[in-house]
Amino acid sequence: MKKLFVLICMIFLLTGCKTNMYKKSMFYMDTHIEVKLYDIPNETSKKLLKEIDNIYSEYHKLTDRYNEYEGIINVYYLNNVLKVNESIEIDSRLSDIINYGIDAYNKTNGYVNIALGNAVDVWKKYREEGKNIPKTYELLNLNVDIKSINLKDNTFIKKKDVKLDLGSYVKGYVTEIVAKYLEDNECEKYLINAGGNVRVGKSYKSSKYSVGLEEPFNVTNIYDTLLVENMSVVTSGSYQRYYEVDGVNYNHIINPKTLFPDNYTKSVTVVTKDSGYADILSTYLFLLPIEDGIKIVNSLDEVEAIWYADQIYYSESFNIYEQV
Amino acid sequence: MLIKYTIQKVLTYMNKYDIRLIGIVLVIILLILFFTRKDNNYANVYYNDKLILKIDLSIDKEYSVNGYNGIVKLKVKDNKIKVMEETSKMHICSKVDWTNSGVIVCLPNKIVINFSNDELDTVSG
Repeated sequence: MKKLFVLICMIFLLTGCKTNMYKKSMFYMDTHIEVKLYDIPNETSKKLLKEIDNIYSEYHKLTDRYNEYEGIINVYYLNNVLKVNESIEIDSRLSDIINYGIDAYNKTNGYVNIALGNAVDVWKKYREEGKNIPKTYELLNLNVDIKSINLKDNTFIKKKDVKLDLGSYVKGYVTEIVAKYLEDNECEKYLINAGGNVRVGKSYKSSKYSVGLEEPFNVTNIYDTLLVENMSVVTSGSYQRYYEVDGVNYNHIINPKTLFPDNYTKSVTVVTKDSGYADILSTYLFLLPIEDGIKIVNSLDEVEAIWYADQIYYSESFNIYEQV
Repeated sequence: MLIKYTIQKVLTYMNKYDIRLIGIVLVIILLILFFTRKDNNYANVYYNDKLILKIDLSIDKEYSVNGYNGIVKLKVKDNKIKVMEETSKMHICSKVDWTNSGVIVCLPNKIVINFSNDELDTVSG
């Protein structure tokens, strides 16, 4: 009997190596968000997943451009309710995101512009109709000047009619907040995918996380697989939100310099640690000619990128993330 | 010759309890293998984070599930699945080709389809 007991215990020990995984799927910020946590007690996982849902939900409300929420001063309110030159105290979290966007504007030579809302709205209307492109005069008179936004110590004023659009980095920004929350709460092994914005912690297995890259316009085909740990993988592409007029692709990423979409590449994927930074960079690189983008990435520390265009282009050390 | 010798030697040292013990251990191992075996080729369909349907991709068949905007029609053929019909503005998920890997998201319908035997941890795009 004793022998039997010992053997059964051994078998359970051996099979007990299987990792515990807890997952939750959410719909916020116009995207599907999936969170997987590994190797933590069941009770902790419940608490963490609930709080993560809370974080995404609250940031969703604060940054929502299309809906009002009772008792919340959000982007909708700043864009549509607040009058020009009227000042208002905003939530410090919203203030931090806007400041992050202003900083991104300076870092990207104005290619990532949170004041682009007026132009994005015009393009969205045309994209949903799917027939024509906006007339030049409709775009020319739009105010997209970031200097119209004045934010000091959580007090927000717009000097002219301007509309905020934080869409180019809000998913990545909040995902990084969630990653930090997990690490502060002793959950090191996690995977977050917020609509293609991937952020992973330490791996739960002997190898790193494998992240497939979708081929633009043929998304069931994975054209490259990356192996990463404690890293973000973020893609900007022209193949999901777009329409065509006379065979030309008009996608959802508007170039603030021309107020038109660009087609230098079909997609660009950035690999770097911080998810918010990766999101900013992927938008920036999507709007630049590929050779300019490669030079910029090569000049940055711990950033790599891959472009899927007429052919595949890589930054200098991209292959360190590729599966051999 | 050596094997036969070893078996004979081992048997002389074992009593009937030992043999019974080996039998029980083998049964336990088989049971564990049976219960922890990987789902072979299944598509999991979720509505708002609830698993609503598990589809065996080896059987060609059509399915209808309730999405946020109404019925979402799915079809299985040659071990692959495709969203045939759904109500949305952009039809992003019904544009996805026949597949048995990655993830299909019908965002306005809050429907997510993934696959039990996917080798990738996740996909960026």
